[in-house]
This record gives sequence, structure tokens and C-alpha cells, in this order.
Amino acid sequence: QVSVINTVDTSHEDMIHDAQMDYYGTRLATCSSDRSVKIFDVRNGGQILIADLRGHEGPVWQVAWAHPMYGNILASCSYDRKVIIWKEENGTWEKTYEYTGHDSSVNSVCWAPHDYGLILACGSSDGAISLLSYTGDGQWEVKKITNAHTIGCNAVSWAPAVVPGSLIEQPSGQKPNYIKRFASGGCDNLVKIWKEEEGQWKEEQKLEAHSDWVRDVAWAPSIGLPTSTIASCSQDGRVFIWTCDDASGNSWSPKLLHKFNDVVWHVSWSITANILAVSGGDNKVTLWKESVDGLWACISDVNKGQGGVSAVTEGQQNEQ
Amino acid sequence: AAVPSQVVPGADPCARQLCFAWGPAEVLVCETLFGRRGGSPSRGTGGPGRASPPGALTGCVAGSGEAGPSTSRLFVVRKDQDIYIQTLRKLFNESHGIFIGLQRSEEELAGKSRKAQLVQVSKNYRSVIRACMEDMHQAAMSARDPALHSQYSTQVSILSAMELIWNLCEILFVEAAGAGPLLLRLLDWVRLHVCDVDNMVREVLSSENPSKHELFWNVVDVFVLQGRMDEARHLLAKEASANPTSVNMYKILDDLMKKMPVPSLGNTQTLTEMELKWQHWHEECQRYLQDGTFASNSHMESICKILLGDEDAILEKKELMTTWYHFLVTQLLYSHPTVKPMELRMDLFLGGESSPEPLDMILMAAFEFEMHQVIKECSIALSNWWFVAHLTDLLDHCKLLQSHNLYFGSNMREFLLLEYASGLFSHHSLWQLGVDYFDHCPEYGRVYLELHIERIPLNTEQKALKVLRICEQRQMHEQVRSICKIMAMKALRNNRLGSALSWSIRAKDAAFATLISDRFLKDYCERGCFSDLDLIDNLGPSMLLSDRLTFLGKYREFHRLYGEKRFSEAAKLLLMLMTAHIAPCSFWMTLLTDALPLLEQKEVVFSAEQTYELMRCLEDLTAGRSDKKKFQDDDIETVKVEMLRLALARNLARVIVKEGTLEGS
Repeated sequence: QVSVINTVDTSHEDMIHDAQMDYYGTRLATCSSDRSVKIFDVRNGGQILIADLRGHEGPVWQVAWAHPMYGNILASCSYDRKVIIWKEENGTWEKTYEYTGHDSSVNSVCWAPHDYGLILACGSSDGAISLLSYTGDGQWEVKKITNAHTIGCNAVSWAPAVVPGSLIEQPSGQKPNYIKRFASGGCDNLVKIWKEEEGQWKEEQKLEAHSDWVRDVAWAPSIGLPTSTIASCSQDGRVFIWTCDDASGNSWSPKLLHKFNDVVWHVSWSITANILAVSGGDNKVTLWKESVDGLWACISDVNKGQGGVSAVTEGQQNEQ
Repeated sequence: AAVPSQVVPGADPCARQLCFAWGPAEVLVCETLFGRRGGSPSRGTGGPGRASPPGALTGCVAGSGEAGPSTSRLFVVRKDQDIYIQTLRKLFNESHGIFIGLQRSEEELAGKSRKAQLVQVSKNYRSVIRACMEDMHQAAMSARDPALHSQYSTQVSILSAMELIWNLCEILFVEAAGAGPLLLRLLDWVRLHVCDVDNMVREVLSSENPSKHELFWNVVDVFVLQGRMDEARHLLAKEASANPTSVNMYKILDDLMKKMPVPSLGNTQTLTEMELKWQHWHEECQRYLQDGTFASNSHMESICKILLGDEDAILEKKELMTTWYHFLVTQLLYSHPTVKPMELRMDLFLGGESSPEPLDMILMAAFEFEMHQVIKECSIALSNWWFVAHLTDLLDHCKLLQSHNLYFGSNMREFLLLEYASGLFSHHSLWQLGVDYFDHCPEYGRVYLELHIERIPLNTEQKALKVLRICEQRQMHEQVRSICKIMAMKALRNNRLGSALSWSIRAKDAAFATLISDRFLKDYCERGCFSDLDLIDNLGPSMLLSDRLTFLGKYREFHRLYGEKRFSEAAKLLLMLMTAHIAPCSFWMTLLTDALPLLEQKEVVFSAEQTYELMRCLEDLTAGRSDKKKFQDDDIETVKVEMLRLALARNLARVIVKEGTLEGS
């Protein structure tokens, strides 16, 4: 059973394309075709508009909250080819950086694990992926992967940070040697994995299984197992779960979660990676869980009822 | 401004799709229309290579010409309502205590004592459920709002069902007594939980003439069905005295009932002995029935048939038993002593009328000793994980669950505890209980705790310290660092520099410490004094975290020394700050300016060598200046430099004389 605890009237003047909770679930950011990004305080079932951010000149596709240790920071990307990073300073939200290095719509933004610093990956319809790194004093360094995906890149998602030798406390000031990776999905029907080597980003893996544009990729949070898991969804109606068993990241194998009758647009993992949410063109969101015998089962679907979100139909939970 | 638009072909303007996002506790669901974003493969437009000017949304997006695009609604949705019910708070808190006690209890106790211990734990859990039921019942009674009353009443039923199930599991699995004592427990269980007939019983017993009451025989039957022989015989005696004609019949029946072999807890007889006795008695009952002893009194005849375990005779009394499990236990009572519950037909009672309710499924699985089935059915039927998590944990401690490795390597017990504890984390105070549950999940408890504890909002310093303590106790260093950094950032944003500094020291965050030290120094330059002196004065070894922080600490020390008129020490420190390059170049001017009062003291403070050093520092500093500046006579900086040069020269002169004089004498 689920209950709606809050219905937020965003007053956006056009379709909302993305809505994201911040780290603690106390704030919510929305972005829309009306070119604005809005931030609300949603504590205790309330909805107080904190900011109405203008700066984009086209529909805004996605928003992403940075880790709270960097302050209150939000990134947004838009059809207007821009990525804007907003920051709360002295109680007000302002634009802190604007990136215009793409030639086409920027479709996806994703912050890297906080352990790497403040780094934002951006995927664009111009086929490139940009990595914006904050270097201090209001400065951002840009690295660009051109031609990451032919025709366009639709999604980017970072791998969780795995701290080598995390049991040993690092001496202060010394940064552990992280191996940074992220996944991207594009209009070339591919999911690609990128790895940073000596300051350069290289294509590490090409995952082929989809027969049409990949719309979203999501790298699952780590629960300490040596396996890595990525979910991908596509225009072809399929959702694949990719797993890699070895730490070196060499052999990825796909498992088909389900073939839907329509385009699947989004996939996202819960905090402990035990549930995958899939948003499809068939007008509902389905939640999937891996059962005890390794099979993925749909545990419920979130539908629209008359005049609102209806109660979830509690499906069978396959435990043994 | 209206945007030129073109509707995506095939998109139904009335259809809304759902966008979904995970929050730490809640989820977001938002109405949207996916087809309106980005390009589309079949159409090829809107992709890269086309430098479409912003605003000309050709071919991708339907604009505001549509009906009602502004009603794109956003819902915050939450699962697991139970943790938010105030009256259940006791359930979560107290069961937590029992759980921890169980985990820590001695496993060295073997055999009977261990079993007794586990049974006690089970009883403790049940008493918590019952206490909660009481509270809930009170709440229902005092609720004026009918919806609230209804909600509480539903909760009471659920808690009652939970207690029923748990009690049965305790009898069958935890205590798991042999056939005889098991039967006694089951009879107790039935008597306690099947209460529909209690009113009728009370009514008859309290009437003036019970044997004349129309429901008299019903009550006798109830007693027989529930194995309450003494009470049944007592009532029968009343009937006998009222009806002298049936005295003989009564005596025989009374005798049979008295002689029925029932297990007693202190029983020392073996099962074989028991069986023999029972066989003998059963045959005697059979004989009297067949002789027609009870033929003239249908009530007594039916009681005899019940004693013989006649299925049809027992079934006839369906209304008095009300539930199939009562029927089952009654059958068990009047069956051969070696018969086990699962050998009996449970469906007879229900007939073909309705399909079994979830509660029935659970109880049936229990009677069939299918523990895993019980857990599975409970997981489906109940809306929260509390029940299955705690029950399964208890059964695991009884060593009853096969370590049935689940796919991801954990086991059923851990799986359920993880689910339960994860749910607790969405509550603003119950999350603390969740920590302990994760602690007792050896495989994934720690990582789940790491992932969840990061999402606890650190609203107050107190809460942050509480979370920190939990992380520190478990050597969760990454989380400690992360929390300290978050608190440092928060403090900095609220201009609480002292707090920000101590948090960044705790986080061992050198970069941040440098940033804050700079802010302190900047403040000093602007206001001429330091804030948070206490903190800076007592930095100790943590001063070494960052160079800037070291400088801040030492610089403050310089001021202290000056304030205490320990001029030569102050002078030495000041010089060292520059020569050892602890001070950033940008600060040298300030330091040299600070040297001025020392240079102008009556007593000479700086030695000749020190003065030469200072001069060199000054020259290093000015050498870096652009030529332009040197020509501006009005520049304050130039004036300062001149003043310094003068003061240094004067000092040098004085000190040469002083040192020369000393040498001379």
C-alpha cells in the first residue's frame, strides 16, 4: 500500500520533464518546458516555493542535486544546449556557472560520487559528453568526449565510488586512487562504459543488446558485492540488466528484465539497489525486484487512478 | 512568449505518462509526456548536427496550445504507513528491546533451558502485541471521528490476528512439545482465541436455573468440544438432579468423561501406555453407544459420538466452534493420541463455500508445519515487515530455518530484517532502532547502514552528533568524514566560522580548513580582531591539518604574545612566519605592518640579524611589484613601504649601537 502524502502544485506553465528529491527528501526540484527550474521545501507534507530559476531558453529536461557537502547545488540541462549550475548563497538561489559547449540539446546530467569532488557529466544530442569539474574559486574545468555516441547521447550515469583499501583510514590530505567510471546510453543503440585513465576519458566497454535508441541508463548503488549492475532501457521497449562479475570490469552480460509494448523512458534504482523503477510509455511505472532465485519480478505498478494516483496493487513477492 | 510548435505525430494530448524518482523515504511521481522530449528515431529531426536556434522547437515538442498542460501534477508518495501510527510506537520500541536481548542471549544454554528461554522471548513478543492491542482498543473507543475509529478498529483486528498466528507458531515451532502437551497447549489456544461463545456461556451459567435454559445443551457441548471436561460434568450434574429419569444415563456418561485419558503436563507415562489406555477407553465408549444406552437422549448420544471422535457429530456443532481451527483441535483431542494435526482434513469445515482467507492460509501452513510457507503468506498478507522479521528471527534462533541460501547470498532471516530496518529509516526517530537491526545482519547490515545513515537529515547539531557517534562506534570513516564536511559547509553558509572550522578539522578536510582560515584572516583584516578566539587558541596539533590553518593559529599566537608584552618572542614568531613561508605572500604586508609597533618600542626588540631578515622580506615583497606602482607617490602601499624602510633603518641603527656597546663592555 502506498499513500499520497503530498500533492505539489508546481504552477509550472507547461509539461514537467523531471522532478528530483534532494539527498534528505526535504527539498524537491522540478523542471519544465516552460523553461524554468523550481525548488520547493516539502518538509512535513508542506510545499513552499523556495526558488523560481530562470536562465534557460528552452525546455529543461533534467535536474540533478549535488551532494550536500558541497552546499546546496543543483544542475539543469536543456534543449537550449546549455547546462546551468545553480547554487544557494546567503539564502538565495543563483546561477553559479553556465556551460555552453554543446551544439545541440543537452539531455542528461549526473553528478559523480562525492568522493571524486564536484564533477558533472552531461550528455548531449550532439553526440558528445562533457565533464565539468569544479576546481575552486568559482572555476570549472571542462573535459569533452566528442563522438561518444553517433547521432546523440541520451543518458549518463556514474558508477558508485569504490574506495580501495577503505578499511584503512587515509592520512589527511591524501586522495585515494579512485578508478572513475560512468555509463552512457545513446542513439547508436549502445550503452557505453567510460573510464578515466591518466586524466583522459576512454571508452572501456560497448554493451550491445538494444535494437533502438537507448533512452536511459542507471548504474546501481553498491552493496559491497564484487558485481556491478547497470540497467538500460530503450525505444525498443526492452529493459536490460547488465552485470559484471569481476572487478576489472571486462565481461558484462545482459539479462532481459522485460519487453514492454511501448518505449521505455526511464530506469532508476532505490537507495539500496534492491528495487528498480521503470517508467514506460504504457502510462505507468513498474517496480521490479530480484527474487531469491535470480529472476526479476514485478512487485507492483504505480498507476494513475481517477483524479489522482491510485493505490498500488500489491503483487506477489517471490521469496522462498 | 508563445513558442512555435508542432505536435509529435501519434501522441495523444490527453494521455499522461508518469515520471518517477526515488527519494530517501518517499518517492516522486509526476505527470508528464515523454514523447515530447528529445528527438525521435523515426523522425530524425531535433537531433544533433542541426543547430536549431533555441525557441524554434521544430518537430519535437508540443507547446502550450494543448489543453491543460499546466495541470502537470506532482505527487509525493509514501509506503509503509504503519511506522507513522503513534499507537504502534510501543510495538516497535519494545520489540526492539526484546530483539536485542535475544541476539545477545547465551547460546551456551542447551536443550531444555535454551528452549525455555526462547519460549519466554516468544511470550514477551506476544505480550507486547497484546499491550498494543489494548492501547489501540482504547484509542478506538475514545475516537470521535468515525474514520479514525474505523482505522483503529482495523488495527485491533490485525494485531489480534498477529497474536493468534504468533501464539500458534510458538506452540507448534518454538515450544514444539510432544503430542500430549502439544494438545493441551492447542486447547488453551483455542479457548483463548475463540470467544464468540463466551457470552452465551456466561448467560447460561448465571441464570437461575441453568439446566432449564434453552441454550443449556449448547454450553455443555461447547465445554466438551473444548475439552473442558470438569465444567461439562458439573453442568450435567445439574441436569441429572433435575431429571431423575436420566440418572443412569448420566452416570455412565459422566464416568466416561471422567475416565477419558488426557495428557497432563507432569505425565510420566510413555506414549505406548497412553495409547493402550486410550484404546481401552475408546472401545468402552463404543460399546455404550452401540448398546443404545443413550438412545433416548439425543444430546447425550451426540456427546458420546463426539467423545468417539465422530467427524459428522463434531461437524454438526459447527456454529459452536465458529472456526475451522477450533474444529481441527477438537478433532485432534478426540483422535488417536498419535495423530498429528497435518493428518487431519482442514477443509471439511469450510466446505466449498468460500475460498480461504489469508489468515486461514497462514494457520493451515502452520498446522502443516510448513514454516517457510507461513513466512511467505504472512509477508504477503501483512502490510509491514515487523511481524515476519521478528518471528523469522526467533525461528532462526530455534535453529528451525534451513540455511536456505537466497540468491544474493544472504538468508531469509537477514532478508526480512533488512527490509524491516530499511523501513524504519524513513521515520524521523525510529531510525535509531533500525541501526541495531542492521548491526545484527552479518552480510549486508553494514553496507545498508552506510547507505541509509547518509540520508538522515542533519537538522540540528545535536542530531548530527548523534549520527556521528553511531558512525564512529562502527568505524564508518567515510560516513564520518562526509557528515563533518556537510556540517562544515552548513556552518560556513550561515557564517558560523568557528563551527565550520571545528567541523572541517573533525573531517580532516584540509582544503576546507584552508578556505575557512582564509575567511578568518579576511575578517581580521577587515575588522581588526579575531572571532572564535577560544577555538583558534586551542587548536593544538590539528593546526597542522593545513598550512593556512597553521598560519592562522600561529598568527593568533603572535597577537597573544604581543598582548602579553612578550615582545621578543612575538618578534621571533613574526619573523619565522615569513622566513619559514608559513605565511602566504598576500599576508606579508600585513605582517610587516604588524612589525612596526615592535620596531618602535623603547627597548630594541629585533636583533641586527632579525632586522636584516625583515629588510630582505620587504625587498622580496616589493621586488615583485610592477614598475608602474613605484611611480605613484600617493599610493598608500608606497607610503607604508617607506615607513617600514625608515623604521627598519632606525632599528638597525639602534641595534648596532646596542650590540656594539654590549660587545665592548
